[in-house]
Amino acid sequence: MAGTSTSESAEETRAWQSRWAALRLGPRVRRQLLRAIVVAAIFLAFCALLGALFGVGILSYTLAGLRVGSIVIVAAIGLSLIYGIRGFANFAYGDLMTLGAYVALLVNLFGGINLVAGFVVAFVTLGAFGIVLELLIFRRLEGRGPVAPLVASVGVGLIIQNGIRATASTQQWNYDVTAIGEIPIVPGLGFHWIRDFATLAIGLSFMVSLHVLLKYTNLGKAMRATADNLELAKATGIDTKRVRYAAWAVSCSFASTAGILLGLIAVVKPTMGFEVLLLIFAAVIVGGIGSPYGAMLGGLVVGLSQEMSVPLLLWLGRPEVIGLEHATAYKVAVPFFIMIGVLLLRPWGIAGRQPAFAPRTFFVERLARVLRGKRTSAERAEGDGRGG
Amino acid sequence: MAIDTGLLTNIGFYVSIAIVFSVLALGFNLQWGYTGLFNAGIAGFFLVGAYVTAIAITPLSQPLIIGGVTVVPGHLGGYSLPFVVGALLAMVASGLTAALIAIPALRLRADYLAIATIAFAEILRIFAINLESTTGGTIGLPLIPPLIQYVPADPFLSAVTFVAIGGAILLALLLVLQFMVESPWGRVLRAIRDDEEATMALGKNAYRYKLQAFALGGAIMGLAGALFAVALLYIEPSGSFAPAVTFSVWVMVIVGGAGNNRGAILGAFLIYGMEWGSVQLKDLAPAQLRDTIFYIRIMIIGVLLILLILFRPEGVLRERKRALR
Repeated sequence: MAGTSTSESAEETRAWQSRWAALRLGPRVRRQLLRAIVVAAIFLAFCALLGALFGVGILSYTLAGLRVGSIVIVAAIGLSLIYGIRGFANFAYGDLMTLGAYVALLVNLFGGINLVAGFVVAFVTLGAFGIVLELLIFRRLEGRGPVAPLVASVGVGLIIQNGIRATASTQQWNYDVTAIGEIPIVPGLGFHWIRDFATLAIGLSFMVSLHVLLKYTNLGKAMRATADNLELAKATGIDTKRVRYAAWAVSCSFASTAGILLGLIAVVKPTMGFEVLLLIFAAVIVGGIGSPYGAMLGGLVVGLSQEMSVPLLLWLGRPEVIGLEHATAYKVAVPFFIMIGVLLLRPWGIAGRQPAFAPRTFFVERLARVLRGKRTSAERAEGDGRGG
Repeated sequence: MAIDTGLLTNIGFYVSIAIVFSVLALGFNLQWGYTGLFNAGIAGFFLVGAYVTAIAITPLSQPLIIGGVTVVPGHLGGYSLPFVVGALLAMVASGLTAALIAIPALRLRADYLAIATIAFAEILRIFAINLESTTGGTIGLPLIPPLIQYVPADPFLSAVTFVAIGGAILLALLLVLQFMVESPWGRVLRAIRDDEEATMALGKNAYRYKLQAFALGGAIMGLAGALFAVALLYIEPSGSFAPAVTFSVWVMVIVGGAGNNRGAILGAFLIYGMEWGSVQLKDLAPAQLRDTIFYIRIMIIGVLLILLILFRPEGVLRERKRALR
């Protein structure tokens, strides 16, 4: 890079490079992409095997799982954002989803406007609502540990849910969208533009947009820094207050979209959000708390496991197997079992980073050690839990 | 029946359920108020206690089929055990359940524990709703025998009996718990709550103490379930064991004052009194407002939760801080 003639072109290259930095793949990203492709290939092979063994119809459960998964992903990203930055489990999140769905319903049914407008209105309204929540309540609970804001969020949830019940009654609603029939692929397996395509596309676009926000904007960098270490972020001069408001706005807007999608594939009712809240928590924990990327993976795992367990449960429900009554009703419990398994083996989640100060022994190792009748010095000196 | 006995029966019923909630609040207070373990699955332990008791003490019930429609499905049971045995079984079952969930979850941060316990409670409820041959499904378990069977059924006498026996149990529990939390054991629990690292530095096995407190709290919630079964004589899974029950108990303990057993009981009587009062009001209200009052009641609980946690986290009766002697 010596000489004036070449420096200009080097400058140009650098400018070009920085412009396309978003597309340049570092070795880490490349490695992760490769891993993702391998996992996807294994998954596809598994689906193909299922289809070959039990007929293609069984893939309708996979499709349902992807559908539920993409909604859970949108919700789990929003939930884990608040979890990471504000450091508490937002139990009002399900009801925020419900609120978003009802705002869109108001625009769609009573305003008589296209649901897309409802999406936008709900997105903006809920974003503003999130900022108001932080201003009125959660700002005052900073530094009081994870339980105080959790309790307050339950209060917020109760107010939203029952406020909706009191004003809009417990009636179930449907959005006014043009009815589109299923496109049958094979008997028992159909493709629906809204249910199967729109939810997946929106889930994917939200994932990408959050990735861009976190990786390539100053706000996103500040968000990641705040989530990582609040004190350090403050010391570096990051306006953590602004970051918190932004996190609330983004989180609640995502909640509204997830709520509307949920209303689209099912019905709009006052308890719709609360009913899926635990599923979303399961996704967040399976993926790794506070990590939006983990939340994406967790959402997919949770959605697929819930829906794809249906054929297995149906099989268990046959009288000659166990004769489990109402077998498919247990599908909601499957993600919880996965979550409890993750809590046992890898409490920091599938994609989460193992914290440096995590206890070195976890339950299973501990059990194995007890069975062997040994206690290592490391265990005796071990600190307990992950700290307050 | 004379109108005043009707009102007295109603009040007796209020006191009965308030006693049940007091026991629940005492259990939660031991876990959270004294040890700092935030349990979000209170409803689950309550459910285990209620179902175990109901199955243990109910005489055999045949499926009741009217015109080809199963009105009361048969369920596990028919053991006709006395209530004391049923309640003990309930405590053991709930305590074991609590230990089972606590062994992995206690190693985690408070909010992980909350999520793990609430998920566990929901799993239990899903099983209670769907496992018809054991739990009677959505219809639940009817025909639970009362504490004392009066031959011409007398709701007033039944209510008085329950208040007397349940009140005695509550008082005994309060005395035992008060003794325990003031003992060296209770002191360790409070020390863990206030500073776990320091407690461990003093050579206490914090994990073991937390496990004991959590399991004991779970057993107390099981006892509450047992009392609930014989207070209502009928249990069903969808309403009585919903997460809303857990949230109510939180409010009770926070209102009364976490870390104060008398406060927990006071909170239970106050908050359940508000719920009961709103139900009484419901009958007076015009028909179209009745449901709204019910929802507004839950909204008030939400508002109370937020206001208390913001402005008076120590509750009405604050924990008495003892000076070192």
